[in-house]
Amino acid sequence: MSDKAFLVDTTKCSGCRSCQVACKQWNENPGEKTEFFAGPELTNPKDLSAITWNHVKFFPLDRSNPEKPSWTIMHKKCYHCETPNCLRVCPEKAISKVDGFVVIDQDKCIGCGACVNECIYKVPGVAAVDYSAAYVPNPGVRANKWYERIQKGKSHKCHACTRNERTVPACAFACPTGALTYDHRLRVIRTAQERLVVVKKDFPKASIYGLKEFDGLRVITILKDAPEKFGLPINPTPINITKVEEINNLYSFFSLFTFGLPFLKRTAYKVARSMTVGDRGLS
Amino acid sequence: MTNHWIDLKNSDVILIMGSNAAENHPISFRWIMKAKEDRGAKIISVDPRFTKTSSLSDIYAPLRPGTDIAFLGGIISYALTKERVNMEYVKEYTNASYLVNPKYGFNNGIFSGYNAGEKKYDTATWAYVLDDKGIPARDTSLKDPNCVYQLMKKHYERYTPEKIEAITGCPKDTFLKVAEMFTSTHKPDKVATIMYAMGITQHTVGTQNVRMFAIMQLLMGNMGMAGGGVNALRGESNVQGSTDAALLWHILPGYLPMILASKHPNFEAYVKATTPKTNDPMSINWWSNRSKYLVSLLKAWYGDAAKKENNFCFDWMPKAIKPSPHILLFEDMYEGKIKGTFFWGTNPVVGGPNANKEAKALERLDWLVAVDIWETDSSIFWKRPGVDPKQIKTEVFLLPAASSMEKEGSVSNSGRWAQWRYKATNPPGGAKADLDMFDMIFRAVRERYKKEGGKFPDPIVNSNWNFTPEGAHEADPHMVAKEINGYTTKDKKQIESFMVLKDDGSTACGNWIYAGSYTGSGNMMARRGTSDKTGLGMYHEWAWCWPVNRRIIYNRASVNRKGEPWDPKRPVVKWTGSAWKGDVVDGGPTAGPEKKNPFIMNAEGVGRLFAPTGLADGPFPEHYEPMESPAQNNLSTQKLNPAVKVLTSDMNKWGDVGRYPYMASSYRVVEHWQAGAMTRNLPWLTELVPNMFCEISPSLAAAKGIKNGDKVKIQSARGEIGAYALVTERVQPLKINGKMTEMVGMIWHFGHGCAATGDSCNQLTPGIGDPNTMIPEYKAFLVDIRKA
Repeated sequence: MSDKAFLVDTTKCSGCRSCQVACKQWNENPGEKTEFFAGPELTNPKDLSAITWNHVKFFPLDRSNPEKPSWTIMHKKCYHCETPNCLRVCPEKAISKVDGFVVIDQDKCIGCGACVNECIYKVPGVAAVDYSAAYVPNPGVRANKWYERIQKGKSHKCHACTRNERTVPACAFACPTGALTYDHRLRVIRTAQERLVVVKKDFPKASIYGLKEFDGLRVITILKDAPEKFGLPINPTPINITKVEEINNLYSFFSLFTFGLPFLKRTAYKVARSMTVGDRGLS
Repeated sequence: MTNHWIDLKNSDVILIMGSNAAENHPISFRWIMKAKEDRGAKIISVDPRFTKTSSLSDIYAPLRPGTDIAFLGGIISYALTKERVNMEYVKEYTNASYLVNPKYGFNNGIFSGYNAGEKKYDTATWAYVLDDKGIPARDTSLKDPNCVYQLMKKHYERYTPEKIEAITGCPKDTFLKVAEMFTSTHKPDKVATIMYAMGITQHTVGTQNVRMFAIMQLLMGNMGMAGGGVNALRGESNVQGSTDAALLWHILPGYLPMILASKHPNFEAYVKATTPKTNDPMSINWWSNRSKYLVSLLKAWYGDAAKKENNFCFDWMPKAIKPSPHILLFEDMYEGKIKGTFFWGTNPVVGGPNANKEAKALERLDWLVAVDIWETDSSIFWKRPGVDPKQIKTEVFLLPAASSMEKEGSVSNSGRWAQWRYKATNPPGGAKADLDMFDMIFRAVRERYKKEGGKFPDPIVNSNWNFTPEGAHEADPHMVAKEINGYTTKDKKQIESFMVLKDDGSTACGNWIYAGSYTGSGNMMARRGTSDKTGLGMYHEWAWCWPVNRRIIYNRASVNRKGEPWDPKRPVVKWTGSAWKGDVVDGGPTAGPEKKNPFIMNAEGVGRLFAPTGLADGPFPEHYEPMESPAQNNLSTQKLNPAVKVLTSDMNKWGDVGRYPYMASSYRVVEHWQAGAMTRNLPWLTELVPNMFCEISPSLAAAKGIKNGDKVKIQSARGEIGAYALVTERVQPLKINGKMTEMVGMIWHFGHGCAATGDSCNQLTPGIGDPNTMIPEYKAFLVDIRKA
C-alpha cells in the first residue's frame, strides 16, 4: 500500500490551471461548455463534476488589509479521505482504496448518487451524458485495464492517476510553481508544517487543512487564512455508520428484486434510504 | 533576456513591471518561488491592476497605463539623491563620468536638436566631448555639470514622489517602498532582476521604457550579475529565435542593420556607416567585426557567386527604401500599394492595432496566402460580420501547416537557449512543415526564373539554396542549422565560433550569433547534459545559448577592475590574473578586467546612462503621455512623445477624454495564445475562458449599472465591441491629478473565426507606434463603456 499524498500550497499557486487541463488531457475527459465565468473571478466551470476531476477556484480579492491585498486561488480535487463517507455509504461497494487513494469502480456503480450526497466536499459526480463512444484512444497514453471512460449514470471523480500508468499524477506533474506536489504523506505533512512557519510571516492567520479530517486526507492544503474562509469545514462529523448499515441492509433485500437493472437498483436504494432516514442526512 | 529563466532563482529583488509573468510565463514562477524560498527574495509587482503576479508579490504598486517612465524616473531620482548606487561600478562601467557637448540641453519636454517640422532630432548636440586623442573626456569625480551623472541628476530631480503620485496614481508611500526595496540592491552583494514584457514595450515611449530599466540596473551594478540583468520575457516560444533570425524589417540576421537605399548605396558605404569606431584602448568595440559578419552572411546566401570582386553580391541584397514595420505595411496595404501578402502564422485581424482598418486593408489585396494550423480569423476576413463576401475581390489561399510537435528544428527561448526538438508525429493530411513550404515555394520560383528570365533573376537563380538532400523530397532542418552555424568555404568544415569569421570570403555563416550551435562535433542545440558546475543554474551542457554558449551576457561587469566578483557567493566569472573562470566570458578570453571595458557592444565599452546615439527620441527617457490619455503631462507641456509620427489616413482616428473617459489596456490570459487560433479551437481551454471579457472595478460597474457577467459594449474612436464584464476588486480607479480615473482592461484573444468566437479588443486599439520601433501602443488608449 502506497503512502503518497498531495500538497496544495495556495501561497505558491499562480492560477495557471495547468492541473485542471492536464487532468482532462491525461484522462481524456471532455471540456465543459461554459459561458462567461461560472464562479467568482475566473472560476470555470463552477465546481468539480463527473467530467471535471481537478478544479481551480478563484476567491474574490480580499482587500481587508489595504497594504497587502490577498487573492486566494485554490486547487481542489478529491481529498482522498482516510475514512471516506463515499466508500462507507456506497451500497454496491463500488468504492475502494487503491494504493491508499479512493477509487470508484464504474462496473459496480449503479449511479445511485449516495457518494455524491455524502461527500461534504462535493467531489464525485454522476455523469449525465455518455462520452465513452466518442473516446478516441490516444497513442501517447498507455491505459491499463482500469482506464476510465465517462459513462452516463456512473459516478466519476479523481483517482489520483492510479488508473493510468503515471508515477506522478498528471496534475502535480504539470504544476509549474510547486504549488501542487506529490510525495510521501508524512513528508508532505512535515513540509506543510515547515512551510506554515514561513508563510505566517506574510499571512498571520495561515493554516493547514487535512491533517485530521476523516482521519486524515491525502490532499493537504496550505491556506492563507482559516479553512472556513475557503469553504473547508474543520473536523466535520463523519456519517453515522449505523444508519448506513440499516439502509444498506434494506437495500440488499430490495435489490433481490431488481434483476440487476441499474435503474431499478437506483430506485431500490432511494426507497431504502428514504425508509430509514427520510429527508434527514446521514451524519 | 541578458540572463535566463533559471537565473531568476539567484535574485534578491525581482521587479516585475509591464509583465504579468505568473499569467503569461508560468514557468518563471518556478524560479521566482525558489528565490523567495531559498534566498528570501522580495517580489515587486507594478501593474495597472492586481494580477496573478501581484498575488504572489511582496509589494503591489498600481500604475496608470503609459506612465512607466514617470514611475521609474522617480526611482532613479531616489537612487541618485540618496546615493543608493553602486558608485564604483557606475564610475568604471558606465558613462556617468563622460562629458557631454555643452550645447546639449533639455527644455520643457524637448531635447536639443529638435526639428518640429519633421518631428526628428539632430543628435549632434548629444555627443561626448572628445579629448585630443579622440577619446571621450571624463570627470571621474562626477562633479562637472556637463558630465552624464550630473545631467541625469538634473533631469530626474523633477520626478518627485508627489508628481509621481499625481501622474501614475501610485500612492506616494507605495512608490517609496518600491524605490527603497529596489535600490537596496545597490550594495555589491545584493542583486535585483527586472522582468518585463509588452506592458513596457507597447507604448509610444516603449523603447525609452526599456532604457529606464537599463539605466536602473547600471546604477545598481546589476548588469552582468547572476540574478540580475534586464530580462525581456518573450511572448512566444521562439520569438527570440525569430528576432535573432531578423524577422523584423530593420535588421538582417544577427542584428546587423538593414541595408537602406538612402544611406547604403554600396558595400563600402554600408560597412563604413554601420561599423562604429573608437580610439579608446579600453574598448573592445565588438561591432568593429561588422564586415566579417556581413561578408560571411553573403557567402552563406549567395555561395560561389559571392566574390571579392563583386563585393560578395552586396548589390543583390534588397535595400529598404523606407521603414516597413507592421503599422506602415498595413497603411500601404490600405492604400492599395501592396498586391499580395503571406500571413505566416500571423492573425492581424485579431492581433493588429486598429484591427478594423487592417481587415479593411486585406480587401484591397489581390491575393492572400494564409499559412496556419487552423483556419484563422484573418484567413476568413472576407466573411467577417458586416461585410458581403461577394464584394471582396481578394483571392485567399489557406496552406495547412504542421504544428510544433509535427516538425523538427530549434526553438530559442527568452534566455537565448537554442534547444533542438524532434518531430513527435507526422502532420495530418497535406499539412507541411514551414520549412518544406518555404523550400517548395522558393524552388518553384527559382525554376520559373531560370526558364523565363525576368527583370532581375540573378539573386534568385544564383542563390545558395540547397536544403534538400540528394534523393529526398523534403528539406532537412539540419542542413539549415549547419548553414546558420557557418562553415569554411574551401573545405566546408563547420566552424566552432564566430571568432574565426573573416571578411575575405573564406567563411560562410547564416547568422554570426549562432556560430557554435552546430559545430564539427555535432548539433550543440541537441545536447542534454545536466551538470551545473557553477551551481548557479547555468547548465552549460544543456542545449546551447548564443553567443558562444554564454549564459549571462555582459558578464565582465560582474567583477571589479581586479577581477573579483562583486558578490563572491554568486561568481559568474572571475579573473585569476591570467585567465577567466566560470561562464564563457564576454569579449574574448585573453584581456583582463583592468585592460578592457565590459559593455563590448557599445563603442565606448561602458553602459550608457545617457545615449548619445541610437535613439530617435532623446538621450534620456522622458515621460510623455500616451496618444490617448486622460491627463495632461505634468512634467512639461509636451503631451505626446515629440518624435512620434501620427498617421493621417481616414481610418486613423483618435479619441479624447471628453468623449472616451476611461483608460484602457489590453492583455493576455494563460488559457489563450496570442490571437487565439491555437487555443480557441481547444475545448479544454475554452471551458476555462469561453468568451471575450473585460475587467472593470466595482465602482465603475455601479456607476454604469453593470453587474458581473453582464454583456457590455466598449467603444473607442476606432470601433465598438461587445464583451462580458468581469466586475472585480482587482481593478480599482486611480487618482490622477486629484481625479479618480477608471480603467477598462481587456483580453485580446478573440475574433470571429475558430470555435470560440468574440470581438477583438484590437478593433479599439490605436494604430500609432514608438518612434524607434513602431511597436503599436496597444497598452494605453481611451474608451467608453455601457451596458449592452
